[in-house]
Amino acid sequence: MSEVSLARSWGIYAVLGWRNLWLHPLRTFLTASALAVGIAALIFLSAMDDGWMQQIKRNFALTVTGHIQIHARGFEQTQRLRQHIQNPAPLMPLVRAQDGVKEVVLRVRASGLASSAGANAGVLVFGVEPEAEARLSRLSDFLVSGSWLRSDVQHEVLLGDGLADRLQVGLGDKVVLMAAAPDGEIASEVFRVRGLLHSGVLDIDDLFVIAPLPKVQQWLGLGQGVTDIVIRVTDDDRVTPVWNSLRSLLDGDSFEVLRWNDIDPMAEQWAEFADVYTWIILLIVIVVVLAEVLNTMLMSMHERVREFGLMMALGARAGHIFVMILWETIVLVALGAVAGFVLGGVLVFWFGREGIDLTRFAVAFSFMYMDPVVYPRFEWSSMARIIGASLVGALMAGILPALRAARLVPARALREL
Amino acid sequence: MAIIHAHRLRKTYPSGSTHVVALDDVSFDVQQGDFVVIAGRSGSGKTTLLNMLGALDRPDSGTLKVAGQDLLSMGEAERANFRLWHIGFVFQAYNLIRVLTARENVAYVLQLQGKPSRERLKAADAWLAEVGLEGMGDRRPDQMSGGQQQRVAVARALAMSPSLVLADEPTANLDTHTGGELIRLMRRINEKNGTTFVIASHDPAVIDAAHTLIVMQDGRIEQSVCRD
Repeated sequence: MSEVSLARSWGIYAVLGWRNLWLHPLRTFLTASALAVGIAALIFLSAMDDGWMQQIKRNFALTVTGHIQIHARGFEQTQRLRQHIQNPAPLMPLVRAQDGVKEVVLRVRASGLASSAGANAGVLVFGVEPEAEARLSRLSDFLVSGSWLRSDVQHEVLLGDGLADRLQVGLGDKVVLMAAAPDGEIASEVFRVRGLLHSGVLDIDDLFVIAPLPKVQQWLGLGQGVTDIVIRVTDDDRVTPVWNSLRSLLDGDSFEVLRWNDIDPMAEQWAEFADVYTWIILLIVIVVVLAEVLNTMLMSMHERVREFGLMMALGARAGHIFVMILWETIVLVALGAVAGFVLGGVLVFWFGREGIDLTRFAVAFSFMYMDPVVYPRFEWSSMARIIGASLVGALMAGILPALRAARLVPARALREL
Repeated sequence: MAIIHAHRLRKTYPSGSTHVVALDDVSFDVQQGDFVVIAGRSGSGKTTLLNMLGALDRPDSGTLKVAGQDLLSMGEAERANFRLWHIGFVFQAYNLIRVLTARENVAYVLQLQGKPSRERLKAADAWLAEVGLEGMGDRRPDQMSGGQQQRVAVARALAMSPSLVLADEPTANLDTHTGGELIRLMRRINEKNGTTFVIASHDPAVIDAAHTLIVMQDGRIEQSVCRD
């Protein structure tokens, strides 16, 4: 008497599983359709999320921070001008030589106080190289009145429009800036307002003062010194390699090399939050898939108890019945998943090309570094998660009916009608 | 040679706070090649006894050997394997897997036995022809009459070359003519191939065809007659 091999009889259970699904075509169609709609919605939401997150990361990095910054060691934590890079010139060829570096600019960053004829306000002063800065960051995109800085015009500044309101100044008005020089002495300088910025980002609009770098260096007594060497790379994938390379090349005791997400973890936390949010949605999908498929499979199982009894009487083992039900469940979910992927893929492809115009919410979006037009983005890692979640849902939903069927006692099952 | 040796089988089922005795001190032997009919009214224990012989159920006590194997000492997997290689079943109704064609239903057990595709389909067609269903292999159960479905079940039971065919009220859902044809078919195969049949039935036509008749009442063997 030979052993019954599941592997040898696998083919018949694949056939049985497939045909059993079509015993009730309407039920199978409805279940698969519900799965397809759910998976398509999940794919679309996930692609929206990926599109958003890409915008947020890119916009956040390129609004001000850049992808990588080099500081004198400790500056990012203390924000004291005493910890500045005294002579950045020798570093520049080294930085520019890195593979993937697109633009490098120098900055001085200092907290201070701005005064006008009518008001005072705390400010964040940025000394920038006007032309290079316009190529590296998005600051110049935020200009809403006046004009961008010029290297040959030294006593002019750009203000965030919220700050200008608080100081009650407009284009051409005088503003006195005060800040602590590296030696601790308070230094002041007079500027005229050349332009106003509006970004939608609260910090920029209410705190930023942007001035030409040479003037700021002179005003604060820095000589050739800067606080930041800011780097933009050609694409996001180059951030970490360039960062690693610079860290290995620069003296760790003198310099700190930070990525955009090290400098301000906010965007990274948003990305992590979005990840959590995606996982929550995935969990909901698993539960929905599980409930939907479980219901269908339990109904199917209860209708076929006698048939399982018959198969067991003929020599099928519990394992055969278990595999058959599980296979049916997987095929059912696969049908829904394939249809869902096609539907979701078409939606993502279409809207990924055309974009989703959410200009109505532009103010709220700009606060979150998001563009008003969102382009859903197909990320394989997200799709793999959805496939995995569907499969887990299918297996979980299939196991209970499969176990129940496999535990049937043939003599009792044969009495069922 | 006895293909079945049953000695003092007893089986009770719980029913509320008491137990109903389904089999009580049942002993008998069945010889290889016999055509046995177990007769008796509903509830007399026929199906319970057939389930014991087919390794679908276990007695509470007694000894039961079928095809030389002690069924009581087997685990569930062994019993499934035993059924696959030794027992052909024909039930009263819903005998076939409804999503498979007649040919596939017959071939199903052969596939479980691991027979190659070509061999099992050839055997399935041959057995369908043997039971008078030549050319009907592609029909699904819902495209066949009750009598045709029972013939497919007989073909399936025989295709696996069993030691024993057990049939539980095989004619109960058939009209007299079709039932008579089915029982004649089983009898012919028994005489031609020497296959042992044990049939539980209270149909007079089936009882008339018996070589050995066992009459049951209230879980006990009331009478056992061998017609030589």
